[in-house]
Amino acid sequence: MSMKVSIPLELWDGDSDAVITTWLVQDGSQVEYKQLVAEIMMEKIQHEIHSPGNGRIAILRHVDEIVGKGDCIAHLS
Amino acid sequence: MAIKERKLTIARAMAEGIAQEMRTDESVFVMGEDVGPLGGVFGNTRGLFDEFGAERVRDTPISETAFMGAAVGAASDGMRPVVELMFVDFFGVCFDAIYNNMAKNAYFSGGNVKVPVVLMTSTGGGYSDGGQHSQCVYGTFAHLPGMKVVVPSNAYDAKGMMIAAIRDDNPVIFMYHKALQGMGWLGTEPGANVHVPEEQYVLEFGKAKTVREGNDVTIVSLGVGVHHGLKAAQQLEDKGISAEVVDLRTLVPLHRDHVFNSVKKTGRLVVVDEDYHSYGVSGEIIASVVERDVSILKAAPQRVAYPDIPIPFSPIMEQWALPNPEKIVEVCLKFNI
Repeated sequence: MSMKVSIPLELWDGDSDAVITTWLVQDGSQVEYKQLVAEIMMEKIQHEIHSPGNGRIAILRHVDEIVGKGDCIAHLS
Repeated sequence: MAIKERKLTIARAMAEGIAQEMRTDESVFVMGEDVGPLGGVFGNTRGLFDEFGAERVRDTPISETAFMGAAVGAASDGMRPVVELMFVDFFGVCFDAIYNNMAKNAYFSGGNVKVPVVLMTSTGGGYSDGGQHSQCVYGTFAHLPGMKVVVPSNAYDAKGMMIAAIRDDNPVIFMYHKALQGMGWLGTEPGANVHVPEEQYVLEFGKAKTVREGNDVTIVSLGVGVHHGLKAAQQLEDKGISAEVVDLRTLVPLHRDHVFNSVKKTGRLVVVDEDYHSYGVSGEIIASVVERDVSILKAAPQRVAYPDIPIPFSPIMEQWALPNPEKIVEVCLKFNI
């Protein structure tokens, strides 16, 4: 079963894009529910991305990539 | 069982180290511009205000003169302030408190007054913030006796250095490079984000570290320069040159023996420093070797440092001036190894 790691829609107001600043886990590593996995930045404000479940993470979007609300940035399997 | 990897940015590692010391020592408090609800413009006090409140995580007015003096006073009276000078470039208005009071009062008082301030401050450029927000001035602080000066290159070192700095009875200048903080708009160096243990630990000052072994040339640096050195070493390997990379980690105390022994092995030295070329860290490192034994050298030591000019705002001009892996490679190739 696969699960998406997505940018939560309610993380900030408006539709501005953000940039992935840091992945705090290795691609392919085991992550746990609610674990902090990445940081993204929107207009100099940093937001945290937490894992929505347990599993092995496959990173889809990399550091310095522009991402928007709702974008899937990784898969859990 | 393998320990689960827990990578942190330097910003998070600093905040975690401060928080852990604040939980166990009530005399520790934080102050500075925007260190409170914002969590610091470089992220290194995130979470502290929510946990410890406005009494112990204090936003100050934009007056470094006032709050640096307050930090010295509080430390002299038994507290352990962690005070943030947002950009090291702003030291001018508070240098009397730093150099004439913080650094010297223990000496002036015959050891009766200790001044255990941790002054944390951001250094470095690369993102076009102009000459008043982009300097390193490592040499300026390390030159003056009475203060320890530490410069982490990764999150593991940053946490251990922060805890050691808070527990130290001497003033410690904790200089973190903006490009290593994990803040996207300042440039990003993924190599600075490493596994950090959850428990408290101390990194002993005065211990340089060889972060890559090599035989032909020693590249010595600190902070972001270590990452430039590692990238250069990788490129040099493809050209058949084996470079050793040494991370100084602390400038005061300085681990001169470690540098000397590495150069004794390789016979060649390149110092990489984002601080200005003249009268600074790079000259001091070279002196550490040549004062002791010039016969170990196979070539004249070289430096890749910032030119002696005000830092340009223009991206093209600033990038031209900054040390980078390509410049290090170029210097090493001239050794004709």
